[in-house]
Amino acid sequence: MLIQDNLFLTRADPSGHGGIQFLYRVKDYGLSALTSPQEEISMIHWEVEVIKFTSPETADFEVCHATELADKTLKFYTDKSLNEFLQKAFQYFEELNSLEKMLPQEP
Amino acid sequence: MANVKGSAVCRSAVDEGKPADWVPGGERQKVIDPMEMFHKLPREKQFITGSEAARESMRRANIDVAIAYPITPQSESMQQAGYLYDEGYIKEYYRAEEEIGTFSAISGASRAGVRALTATSGPGLMRGMEAISSWPGARTPIIMLNMCRVINTPLAIQPDNIEMSFMLNTGLILLHAENQQDFYDFPLAAIMASEQVDVTLPAVVSTDGFFVTHARGPVSVTPEEYKLPPRDGWRSAVPAMDNENPPARISRDAPIQKSNFISYHMHSSWQQEVFAAVQRSAKYFRKYLGGLIEVVNPGAEDVIIASGSAVSQAREAIRQEEERGHKVGLVKIKTIRPFPTEEIFDAIKGAKRILIPEFNQAGWLHKEICSVLYGRSNAIIKNGPRVFGGMTMPTEMVLEWLAEFRKEAK
Repeated sequence: MLIQDNLFLTRADPSGHGGIQFLYRVKDYGLSALTSPQEEISMIHWEVEVIKFTSPETADFEVCHATELADKTLKFYTDKSLNEFLQKAFQYFEELNSLEKMLPQEP
Repeated sequence: MANVKGSAVCRSAVDEGKPADWVPGGERQKVIDPMEMFHKLPREKQFITGSEAARESMRRANIDVAIAYPITPQSESMQQAGYLYDEGYIKEYYRAEEEIGTFSAISGASRAGVRALTATSGPGLMRGMEAISSWPGARTPIIMLNMCRVINTPLAIQPDNIEMSFMLNTGLILLHAENQQDFYDFPLAAIMASEQVDVTLPAVVSTDGFFVTHARGPVSVTPEEYKLPPRDGWRSAVPAMDNENPPARISRDAPIQKSNFISYHMHSSWQQEVFAAVQRSAKYFRKYLGGLIEVVNPGAEDVIIASGSAVSQAREAIRQEEERGHKVGLVKIKTIRPFPTEEIFDAIKGAKRILIPEFNQAGWLHKEICSVLYGRSNAIIKNGPRVFGGMTMPTEMVLEWLAEFRKEAK
């Protein structure tokens, strides 16, 4: 089972392909962890995207491949490996949010 | 069946190639009252596939015999049943020659008074339909897991629940599981309801293949050391056969096979009783499942009525509508037979528009809803969105249909 810290939303895969999506949120950034049906169940895995939320109130987000964490869709084959990544990502997002606050704001 | 002595199934450690002190898993379990199991036992959350959820359900179901013939996407669950047989949680298990054989044999097992489980998918269900249709009239409590897949040409193995429409008028109890959790809970509830003396009917728990069976989801399970009470074959509308003194003729032949007014009358009263028994099962599902339906956002003007995995798509659609300030209701139908007519009627009071998304070409749920709400509701009922043949139903599709519907029917 995936860790529940910072779990923002659990929902059916909105694309309708079956499976489930976990959305994690740390302020403006977060992760989408999606697991879909596979004909061979041993091939069931997680597809993970780093995301940036576009609204503080809703679950609207954009995929973000511009962080040091990941520049592509990541795949994890076990809950354990994904949980380890989630922990590191949460820490990274905390630092990223703090750093972004230090940048001069655009007028 | 091998190793059968009288009506009791005997497996010894030596027969099974196990250590001499091996105790079948089922014999280590404690029997618990169903209401305790369903509502009071602590639960542990697991993240498992629908097939694995079915396995955990079977582990706790005190199954005497399982018989099946493999077909995608059912095969995975019955492979899991094989593990349970090996561990001693299912007493007898074999692969039949094909589905007519499977469903005839499982009927025989049920008539012998034991708890019998089978499973199938789409074309397998169609192949065995003759035998299946005979189950309710024979008053045989059987639990069948049905992992829905395409049956119509072009052939496909993808999820599509049109096959459920073929079971609507057979006299079976029919449940539709939304997700992995339901596929764990529903079979246990269906077994207990189907074996009640005022019910005594077979029960089918359908779920959408692959979307549920071959995908992981959170499932809260009760401790595995507890199991349901065993079936009592004598506590039944039609008592079990005494297999130590079997009847010379199994068929209750005589007038019913003749063509005269007595045979017509017998058949009609028998069938009326079967369908009345389906309705009587409703009270047990209210107890075991907390209701025949689930209602989200009661009183809304826009309501989605759905069953199976279309419910999950609808849940996300109403969540997104809520983010945008629109309240949309949802009625999830858990039991297709018994059909929750009065519950639906109460749940849609105040509705102006009803949308019915489905994963099949026929739109059978739409037809069911229309037939029971005709003349009783002023709401406009829209037939869709419908996808089939394995097509997906993105949330956007449900949202677009809702937006269009609001424009069409203000």
